[in-house]
Amino acid sequence: MPDLQIEDLHVRFSGVVALNGVSMEIREGEIFSLVGPNGSGKTTLFNCVSGFVKPHHGTICYGGLDLLSQPPHRIIDAGISRTFQNLQNVPYMTILDNVLLGNHSRIDNWETVRRWLSRDQRESEEQAVLKVLDFLGLANYEQKYLSGQPYGIQKLVEVARSLVSRPKLVLIDEPAAGMNDQETMEIAKIITEIRDDLGITVLVVEHDMSLVMSISDRVCVLDSGNIVTVGNPDEVKEHPDVISAFLGEGAVA
Amino acid sequence: MKIRNIILLTLLVALFLGCAGREPTPGVTDSEILIGNIQDLSGPMKELGMALPHGSNLYFNYINGKGGIHGRKIKMVIEDHQYNPQKAVAAAKKLVEQNQVFCFYQVIGTSPCEALRPTLEEYEIPLIAPATQSGTMSDRSRRGWKYIFHTDTGYDKQANILVDYAYEQNGDAKVGVIYQDDDYGANVLKGIAEAEERHGITVQKEAYQRGATDFAGQVMNLLKGGTTHVIIGGVVREPIIVMKTAAAMSYAPQFLGISPTMDHRVVLGAGKEGEGFIVANFAQLYNSDAEGAKLYRELFENSGTDPKVMGMYNFYGFMTAMVLVEGLERAGKRLTRARLIRAMEGFKNWDGMGVFPGISYGPSDRAGTESVVLVANRGGTQQIISDWIE
Amino acid sequence: MKSRYADENLSWIAPLVLLVIAIPFLIRGVTFSYRYYLYVLNIAGIYTILAVGLDILSGYTGLISLGHAGFFAIGAYTSAVLVDQAGIPFGLSLIITPIITGFFGLVVGFPALRVSGMYLGLTTMGFGFIARRLIIALRAWTEGSAGLEVSNPVLFGFEFASDWANYFLIFTFVVAVVVVARRVMNSKIGRAFMAIRDSERAAEAAGVNLTRYKLLAFFMSAVLAGLAGVLFAHTMRFISTDHFDILLSIYFIIMILVGGVGSIYGAVLGSVFIVLLDFLLIPAFKDWMALFVAIEVADIQSLIFGLIMFLFIIFQPMGLYGVWLKMRIYWKLFPFNPKKRFT
Repeated sequence: MPDLQIEDLHVRFSGVVALNGVSMEIREGEIFSLVGPNGSGKTTLFNCVSGFVKPHHGTICYGGLDLLSQPPHRIIDAGISRTFQNLQNVPYMTILDNVLLGNHSRIDNWETVRRWLSRDQRESEEQAVLKVLDFLGLANYEQKYLSGQPYGIQKLVEVARSLVSRPKLVLIDEPAAGMNDQETMEIAKIITEIRDDLGITVLVVEHDMSLVMSISDRVCVLDSGNIVTVGNPDEVKEHPDVISAFLGEGAVA
Repeated sequence: MKIRNIILLTLLVALFLGCAGREPTPGVTDSEILIGNIQDLSGPMKELGMALPHGSNLYFNYINGKGGIHGRKIKMVIEDHQYNPQKAVAAAKKLVEQNQVFCFYQVIGTSPCEALRPTLEEYEIPLIAPATQSGTMSDRSRRGWKYIFHTDTGYDKQANILVDYAYEQNGDAKVGVIYQDDDYGANVLKGIAEAEERHGITVQKEAYQRGATDFAGQVMNLLKGGTTHVIIGGVVREPIIVMKTAAAMSYAPQFLGISPTMDHRVVLGAGKEGEGFIVANFAQLYNSDAEGAKLYRELFENSGTDPKVMGMYNFYGFMTAMVLVEGLERAGKRLTRARLIRAMEGFKNWDGMGVFPGISYGPSDRAGTESVVLVANRGGTQQIISDWIE
Repeated sequence: MKSRYADENLSWIAPLVLLVIAIPFLIRGVTFSYRYYLYVLNIAGIYTILAVGLDILSGYTGLISLGHAGFFAIGAYTSAVLVDQAGIPFGLSLIITPIITGFFGLVVGFPALRVSGMYLGLTTMGFGFIARRLIIALRAWTEGSAGLEVSNPVLFGFEFASDWANYFLIFTFVVAVVVVARRVMNSKIGRAFMAIRDSERAAEAAGVNLTRYKLLAFFMSAVLAGLAGVLFAHTMRFISTDHFDILLSIYFIIMILVGGVGSIYGAVLGSVFIVLLDFLLIPAFKDWMALFVAIEVADIQSLIFGLIMFLFIIFQPMGLYGVWLKMRIYWKLFPFNPKKRFT
């Protein structure tokens, strides 16, 4: 079973505790959300999983593989991809190439050489991208340069890049940040479809509580590097600490 | 496709035009000889790049005023190479093909001149009096040697003579050399090596990098080695600092300089520490009694140029202009490049109104002068203290 | 599903190759001084190869190099020594020398894994100086800074002995380098390079091994500089350390800046433009100026260079290639006003 198992994770940044003994398990096929105020350690957790941050203590295992022993660029080979909170795109590449970048580890050197010579290879590489773009409603955007596209599109391109390599688990960092209501609904739909149609486990960090509550199977609430509670959205909503700490008095209604 | 047809048509037209004929021997008309000069007008040596042609033009104007050479006036075109060898080659091709110059003259700098060799060979065009004292210019193992007539005594020969001079002065002399770690220094070392072999001695060698301003280490080594005569292969700043450093260490060997240290600024800069500094020079000074020097002073004063720049660089341009004019004179009325080369090869101890020790060329000899005079700093003025030494 | 895939339009390559072949004939047709123009074009061609390499490193991968004159010099001297002293044929040196230079690229690339930006600029600049000192120190082979005479290129028994022959030799390589570089940049490798430039994080998350690809960029760039060096040494037939100073490295940076950073065609346009400007236009401008004013115009070169770079960075950061792209879009969209698209 490729579950993501996180055990007793400790991370400190020059004295500031970012994660303080966090353990959790993300099960295959679920949509799991991390919520919490700024600085509660959500993104640090993401960075630990994708190898950018090495924790001082703890383990992260995915399907029997110790992720912490892997350099960042090998994480995607384990079937885990991610998006970023701030856009991390290549503005002066076409959307097609931006998404193709996500397929980097899936294209071997021989295919690269073939690509230089044969149109067929180039075409088949691009088919995978076109499928993902169609899936995300970005059909016919592929030849456009990313630079100058609206924020929402750029955000979707990041998602497309993380999906094109057909991962088993995708980490999505604040998908709805900076989006209007309509776009947020769109994102919610897409996240659900990623799980339902593509069968990919999704781990989301998000501020927008209504989005989290509507799509998640389980929610984990973090505060100052500690887990407040883990449970399905209804349980979390009812949890007294959560209500007082983050949601405020009227939030339940 | 239309575009393809147009391109093919253009190609055909170009081919047709490309087969057109070419002009006969260039640069010489009934009233004019056009010569090409490639100077450094905006690079590290631009100071010289302005002065040398100015001096040359003094003499050319004088000759033109007297009716020219076989009725032809000399006209000099100057291009800028910025001390970049590649630009020197581009400028040379431009001068040959667009300006149609008859020959090259006075191109400055060792590496630009060396870079010109294939071009000289390609167009079979001579280069008279390149403005560099590197002995490699007259090296017959190099490509295109036939087209280069080098006037000055090479650095190697100068160093060689200076070592001789040291031993003449003091049979127990211990000679040291401070040299620049580049082509200039390499050429100096070549001469030192010859002298070492001849005298059966070892010269203490201290290198410095181009642009160095601290010579304490080198001077200290020479002091420790008990050196009595120090040859300085520098330009202007180096001899000044070396002599001042030595004075500060109460170390007083006889300092000897290669010709680039002739610059009057060395005398001014070194002050009393520079007293007695002896420099090898390949020609008479501009303020000497030689006929050529007198003529130079007269022309210079009449030209209305700032008398401050009267010194060696303008005079150097003037001297080499005499060589070129003599060569053109000897080549005769029916001037061709081959005839100029043959005429130049006929030089035998030609002294240019007394300013040169005697320039000789031959069918396989491209080194003009091979002697020097020694110039000493006596109380802030440069005085000649020897005859021509070979 | 019907393919929406649009391959690169290559139909212009044949006319362009024909044009490259036609240019020397055209020049010879209209002027007697064709060798002068060909010489300048040959320099432009050699610099184009190098600028493409520099663009791969600095434009695509975002690793600034102020030491490319060093790679260029190593290529030139290595080939001169291999061919003239070790007796290796020119054709073989064309293969060996760029690889040797490429290894120097790897050596310089290692510090690049740790430093970036300004510091990398200084590191590579230091390499440029070291390369020059090294050449001077290896006097036994290189004749120090006195310069080295180099033999003509000989390929398959044919000796390239004139600017005319050299033109075809050099521009064969220019066309090959441009075509291959575009193909490579338009693949996994190019995407990884650009990702490293714009976001190392995204690149790593996508599976790009930063160490390997940064070193690869240095290697490829140094290989092309080495190739340019080989062609330079044997077609110019004289090399000296005076060629390869820090100013030359800066000259290369200006080329890719003016041409348009991060595009192969930009590097080509930039190097041809700068060389023509430097060798033909500015001297012509100086001559023309001299007709009217008697002022000293010797230093105008650096002034014009500075001005051009300034204007490009302020008004046209995408360089000459950007200008071309805009013109093309303009004509496509005509009569609609496309102004708003480029603000």
